[in-house]
Amino acid sequence: MSEIISKAAELAKKIEGPEWLNSFRTLGLTQWQQAKWPTRKTEHWKYSSLRAFNENDFFATQVHRQGGDEQKLSSELFDIPGLNASRLVFVDGIYSEELSSDRYPLNVDIVFFSKAEGAHKEIISEYLGSAIDLEKNIFARFNTADLNEGVLIQIKQDQKVDQTVQIVHVSTKGESEFTAQQRVLVIAERHSESTIVEHFVSTEEIQNSFTNTATELILKDGSSLNHYRLNMEQENIVHVGNVSANLRANATLNSFVLGFGGKLKRIDFKVNHLGSGAHCEMAGVYLPKNKQHIDYHTCIDHQVPHCTSNEVFRGIMADESKAVFNGRIHIYPDAQKTYAEMSNKNLLLSHKAEINTKPELEIYADDVRCAHGATVSQIEEKALYYMQSRGISKKEAEVMLSFGFINELISGIKHGPIQNLLRPVLARQFSRDEELLKHII
Amino acid sequence: MTDQVDAYLEKDYAAGFTTDVESETLPPGLNEDVIRFISQKKGEPEWLLDWRLKAFNVWKEMSDPNWAQVNYPEINFQDVSYYSAPKSMEDKPKSLDEVDPELLETYEKLGIPLHEQAALAGVAVDAVFDSVSVATTFREKLAEAGVIFMPISEAVHEHPELVKKYLGSVVPQKDNFYSALNCAVFSDGSFVYIPKGVRCPMELSTYFRINEAKTGQFERTLIVADEGSHVSYLEGCTAPMRDENQLHAAVVELVALDNAEIKYSTVQNWYPGDKDGNGGIYNFVTKRGVCHTNAKISWTQVETGSAVTWKYPSCVLKGDNSVGEFYSVALTNNFQQADTGTKMIHLGKNTKSTIISKGISAGKSDQSYRGLVRMNPGAEGARNFTQCDSLLIGDKCGAHTFPYVESKNPSAVIEHEATTSKVSDDQMFLCQQRGIDPEKAISMIVNGFCREVFKELPMEFAVEAGKLLEVSLEGSVG
Repeated sequence: MSEIISKAAELAKKIEGPEWLNSFRTLGLTQWQQAKWPTRKTEHWKYSSLRAFNENDFFATQVHRQGGDEQKLSSELFDIPGLNASRLVFVDGIYSEELSSDRYPLNVDIVFFSKAEGAHKEIISEYLGSAIDLEKNIFARFNTADLNEGVLIQIKQDQKVDQTVQIVHVSTKGESEFTAQQRVLVIAERHSESTIVEHFVSTEEIQNSFTNTATELILKDGSSLNHYRLNMEQENIVHVGNVSANLRANATLNSFVLGFGGKLKRIDFKVNHLGSGAHCEMAGVYLPKNKQHIDYHTCIDHQVPHCTSNEVFRGIMADESKAVFNGRIHIYPDAQKTYAEMSNKNLLLSHKAEINTKPELEIYADDVRCAHGATVSQIEEKALYYMQSRGISKKEAEVMLSFGFINELISGIKHGPIQNLLRPVLARQFSRDEELLKHII
Repeated sequence: MTDQVDAYLEKDYAAGFTTDVESETLPPGLNEDVIRFISQKKGEPEWLLDWRLKAFNVWKEMSDPNWAQVNYPEINFQDVSYYSAPKSMEDKPKSLDEVDPELLETYEKLGIPLHEQAALAGVAVDAVFDSVSVATTFREKLAEAGVIFMPISEAVHEHPELVKKYLGSVVPQKDNFYSALNCAVFSDGSFVYIPKGVRCPMELSTYFRINEAKTGQFERTLIVADEGSHVSYLEGCTAPMRDENQLHAAVVELVALDNAEIKYSTVQNWYPGDKDGNGGIYNFVTKRGVCHTNAKISWTQVETGSAVTWKYPSCVLKGDNSVGEFYSVALTNNFQQADTGTKMIHLGKNTKSTIISKGISAGKSDQSYRGLVRMNPGAEGARNFTQCDSLLIGDKCGAHTFPYVESKNPSAVIEHEATTSKVSDDQMFLCQQRGIDPEKAISMIVNGFCREVFKELPMEFAVEAGKLLEVSLEGSVG
């Protein structure tokens, strides 16, 4: 067992939580202890170094569980103007009643694991861990080993929920390095319609935490879920995230993913199509700069016939940043009549930026139509020239073309307020000079 | 329709006969003595023995690669015989007339033209039988043009300076598990040197044949194209039908110096095992070429044989403006497994690479394309285009794609696309409605699917490849 693993295991053992979660914890802990610490030779971590764990002591004697000075936090950090949202705010993994909304939509049950009783307890026991693949994700194992709290969001059957549930994770600077964990279980009951936003932000100071999240989305027959995952925190955070979804018959998952880079940022998506007629639509944008790193691993599993999926990821790498994209489509035997597509396009803006992309297909059924494409290039000379010839300065043209590269995905965002929030934030990733942004914002 | 197809599919492996020649075969096992024996048998100089032993020591430290998408029982490397030669080769025949008629007959049966007078105009053949080269045709004629084409065991004596300079320069001993094994025990293979500015007057070809049971074949091919030269090289292979699995671990090294061009074509038809997956060749091959300034290397392969294939012909585009190409058709049927693809390493400026890979899986076979395109920081203005298409025939087979795309240069442009589909009902209906029977229709559709690759093959091979596909495919649609 590597030193890091055993240290984290010791820490997890000290955590106390509700007794009825003990079986999960034991499972997670056992598996965590059996885990091999990934190195550059581990296929799944080939391009992402876990050096940050050697340089920082995230698993020090005690987990930072006290939260920051919540009073000092302003809701401006995570407010999405115009969005009809009820908010659940977690500061360093701890729920903050003060910052959260005091009322939740009636057709949604929001229950904390520690306070769950009766039917909710049973539901959590039944579904927790059902979508996540502990085998492949060692950090999900640690998340499970350390499971003392989490939140269940259950959208009631046949309900269309207009209000968005916004789950905010605020990171603050701790006195020393620490780990913040979060667990979310979303259950969309039959024929429900809802929207969940996972929003990650941080305070301005230089951060020193390791965030490890695990989100499970259970979509029952005919349900539809819009899911956003916005990783907009400060660059010093080490973030490892896991989103796993189970799609039953005719369920639809619509996911939008945004990632700014960080010291180490790795997000794994797993979508299991388990019922016929399920559909998954996924769009992602990653924009690392400076010396940041970002790594998206997605795996779309088609286990049954007649499902469809469409995945589009675009990335722009600036400065000395490095991005990794690994998109996998896995079609099981007998999953006939599957249509699955994936596209990954990348723009390199500098000579020191780097992209490693690996679109994979693993197909065991014959009557399927699958395609993937990946491209890497820079801003096209001709396009630049065209714009310059019309009196737009080179710098502005570069900013406009970069923004244009991801604009298609931004425009596809269903919720206007989220689009309005992201547009200027993303544009400012390319330039701080408002003059250059005048045609975009 | 299924019956017709099955009947077609069950067509036997035509090259599956054995040749009854007395052989000198080493008992199975691998140790330093075996290596010394092989080296001594070939009368090798001291440096080559040392080179082999060094590789053997490296190999002992390595472990069998397990990352490929293939499953096979662990190979016991002590169960393999590392040297086998027909006895009649002991006193080297001086001309074709002295070669054992049994051997000549073998090649005749395979349709390989060893008799120069009867040979297809313009193809020089080096025939490798188990561990030795039995005949090389047209040597004199080639020598007139300054082209050296001979078994590598002879080249070691006749052109030691060239062999010493280039052997292992592209695929070093410790490159991978099987290349290290090959470096330690390689027995024979072909050596080609094309002098400056020479366009090789005919196609060169090597024909590999495994005959003896329980042996492995470890040949080594080295092709050096000096500045401004051009050569087209063909490689073919077959083996008898045997119940046990036999190992083939070859290394091919290509060196294309400034402005040179090498075209390397392979039709691989090792015995694939029977329809229940018994027997067949394990084909674990390392092929790589290095391109200097303005040079071009083009790999074309048609892979229809072998029980397990593990093969990634690669190009290191070292010089500016160099070009790498990879055209591949891989067909797997029954229980065959193939994990194949290419690597294009772009180091120089304005380097270009094209990858066209067509995979066809039928029966219960599994096939993967695994490729790497890497743009290093110096690969200014480099360009890559990759297209991998898979065709599935039957619902028990698998087709997978694992492309690695790495770029560290913003001016490099990489495009990758892959599709997977089946012979659609519509296509079949359309053909049948026009009076084409189902088998013909499949063969037509598959041929159309592979056309981009077939047109890259030299004429003689294109015909062979088309026929091979037809044989391997018949009866696979139902």
